[in-house]
Amino acid sequence: MESSKQGHREVLESMYSVIALIFVLVACVELGDAASAVDVYRLIQYDISGVPLGSRFASLNHHASSMHFSPGADLSRTVLVIPIRELDLSFVKEYISRRQPLGGLLFLLPQIFSFENKEGTGDSDKHHELELHKNSLLELEQSLVHANIPYPVYFAFEDDNVNAILADIKRNDVSGQQATATTGGYKLVVSAAEPKKIASPVITNIQGWLYGSKADGDTNQLPTIAIVASYDTFGAAPALSVGSDSNGSGAVALLEIARLFSILYSNPKTRGRYNLLFGLTSGGPYNYNGTHKWLRGFDQRQRETIDYAICLNSIGSWDNELYVHVSKPPENAYIKQFFEGISSVAEELGVKVGLKHKKINISNSRVAWEHEQFSRHRMTAATLSELSVASGLLERTGGLSDGRHFVNENSVARAVKLVAESLARHIYGYQGKNIEIFADGSSLAINPSYIGSWLNLLSQTPRVAPFLLKNDPFVLALKKELTDHTDEVIMQTEVLEGMFTFYDSTKATLNVYQVASVTFDLLLLLVLGSYLIVLFSFLVIVTRGLDDLISLFRRPSSRKVKTA
Amino acid sequence: MTVFHFFNCAILTFGPHAVYYSATPLSEYDTLGTSIKAALVYLGTALVKLVCLATFLNVSENDNFDPSQELLKALIGFIDVAGLYFALTQLTHRNISQNHKFQAIGLGWAFADSVLHRLAPLWVGARGLEFTWDFILQGIEANANLVFSISLAALGSLMWLRKNKPKTLIPIIYACAGIVATMPSITSYLRRSLGWHFPKVVGFELFTSLMMAIISWQLFSACQRPSST
Repeated sequence: MESSKQGHREVLESMYSVIALIFVLVACVELGDAASAVDVYRLIQYDISGVPLGSRFASLNHHASSMHFSPGADLSRTVLVIPIRELDLSFVKEYISRRQPLGGLLFLLPQIFSFENKEGTGDSDKHHELELHKNSLLELEQSLVHANIPYPVYFAFEDDNVNAILADIKRNDVSGQQATATTGGYKLVVSAAEPKKIASPVITNIQGWLYGSKADGDTNQLPTIAIVASYDTFGAAPALSVGSDSNGSGAVALLEIARLFSILYSNPKTRGRYNLLFGLTSGGPYNYNGTHKWLRGFDQRQRETIDYAICLNSIGSWDNELYVHVSKPPENAYIKQFFEGISSVAEELGVKVGLKHKKINISNSRVAWEHEQFSRHRMTAATLSELSVASGLLERTGGLSDGRHFVNENSVARAVKLVAESLARHIYGYQGKNIEIFADGSSLAINPSYIGSWLNLLSQTPRVAPFLLKNDPFVLALKKELTDHTDEVIMQTEVLEGMFTFYDSTKATLNVYQVASVTFDLLLLLVLGSYLIVLFSFLVIVTRGLDDLISLFRRPSSRKVKTA
Repeated sequence: MTVFHFFNCAILTFGPHAVYYSATPLSEYDTLGTSIKAALVYLGTALVKLVCLATFLNVSENDNFDPSQELLKALIGFIDVAGLYFALTQLTHRNISQNHKFQAIGLGWAFADSVLHRLAPLWVGARGLEFTWDFILQGIEANANLVFSISLAALGSLMWLRKNKPKTLIPIIYACAGIVATMPSITSYLRRSLGWHFPKVVGFELFTSLMMAIISWQLFSACQRPSST
């Protein structure tokens, strides 16, 4: 008896634990059952010297509303969904500057801006559309990036699903029904963790050396000419900052120049009397921090052997005018020679090259061009760019609108021709002579398809430096390419320190739920209650008779009468 | 608010069973035991059906109506009828009249069906944020199913438990029983081959269940008249 009772108890206890486990499992089941899930990209969150900027939050759980909301509505718990096509820039800027409370912002970008978009770029009215939106997008980006926004801001691409949802939201808004907990509508949910600081963001500089050959009997150190370009970007949405023009075009041009000169230098007979140093630097948007750290590591001897440096910045979308920016006075011998060389090649190509001189202010920490960093380290340098004026901090560093459609590989090819030809003529001493070294159709011709395919790669790789890890495959690919073209490659990894601090969480999934209101459920409860009551009465009448139904209600009162 | 919705849909799906039990004389005669036994028989039947389906049916990739597969499914559906036969005739019940026996068994059968087929989707789906009409339609379907089960149980008790039936009514009884038993095949045919949407199918089920209920009620009372005198 005792043992069987104990056995029973054990069985019961194990059953209890099984039942408890089932309850726990069942309570935890929460499937993703959204109407749709959309990839969204968050606005950047960063601090400059402790001042918080960008969007400070990542998780979102509010109702959606479009721009047609009724005036005077309380938007502190709604997410405004704004397609860029219908952007009211003044409204958004005012909202941000007045720091009015908002649940969140969701911007919808036209599909053409997506770098995963495989459509061709030849459509002319798409180009026109792009131009229209590009300027408003640039302005929007600037205002977003330089403001402190206490709510999440996300970017998403339009597609059929999203457009249908937006149309629905607009319809609801126009009918005056503001979406809240009691009136149904759409709910946008992004479940993301609290964004954390990126502990030690790294910047990686890659240098490649092409060694020249000394003349017989020459004991001096060979002079060096450097060609430098920064390859990283900064934009409103770091997961979308591909920076095809700023500065993908510069990096690709550098690779092409390296390829051409490696062909020349591979044969000892055509090796020049100069060393060539190719530098792919990082940290460009942050006052060329990477370049600064790189140059800091040079000792006096190395500094003296570098004659001058040519920096390439944004050479992908120009038509017939380029600018050479300098900070040393144009009477400087190297600069004079370089400019004359490039002007003569420009004449042959039928383009114009202008010279712009901007003195640097040592007390101002802002470094607008890469050559200014060289000047601060007492080296001569010039920047070749399609821009005629310097950009401000974090401007024109590869934002949302800087995609593949805005660079032209022919522009890059012509810039490569300019630089390579003038450099080669200087190295081999053919200035003033009518010789075209990199002639079209020759084995040294500039290869537009090489440029095109590298531009394609760069246009699909977001390259914001703090989010590139130490051994990022893209950085390694750049290193490998440079290794193919040069004799020696050195990678230098530094920590990006100084004014800038970055936060993670750049990409998330947005779940869109279509929710019914509480009033709907209350109504449903009412209907169901009355249905069940009607069913009950019907069954009682049918099976027991009408008298029984009436007696059900009368019995308590008759009892009361009895007891009284 | 979504647990609220789950609560609403649960009331719609399972409420009528409780209401039926308390409203009709079933509660007075305490036939709960019979209902529970019927529910357990349904469980066993469902398991047997599962095994047969898994063994004999090919899984088709597309959602088309395949006559041979559907015929097989209908045949396996007759296991349902066999289970009901078992519940009606073989189980020993307390001394309750014919009238209440089939009702209790039909109720238990329908309740087990609802719990097995509808509770899990309801728990997992209705608690989410996303709102669909599916769960309300599912509840309505559960109601229709209740009526179907009770009609089937009535016809079953007529077929197997009543010995003296008017000769003319026998074919009608068997025909109605056949229709009710093949109802799942008919609905799947409508859904797949004709492409009816869920609300339309549920409406059809509701309508036919009411028709069947009226017909079986008439048949039952017609068969009851000779013996009640």
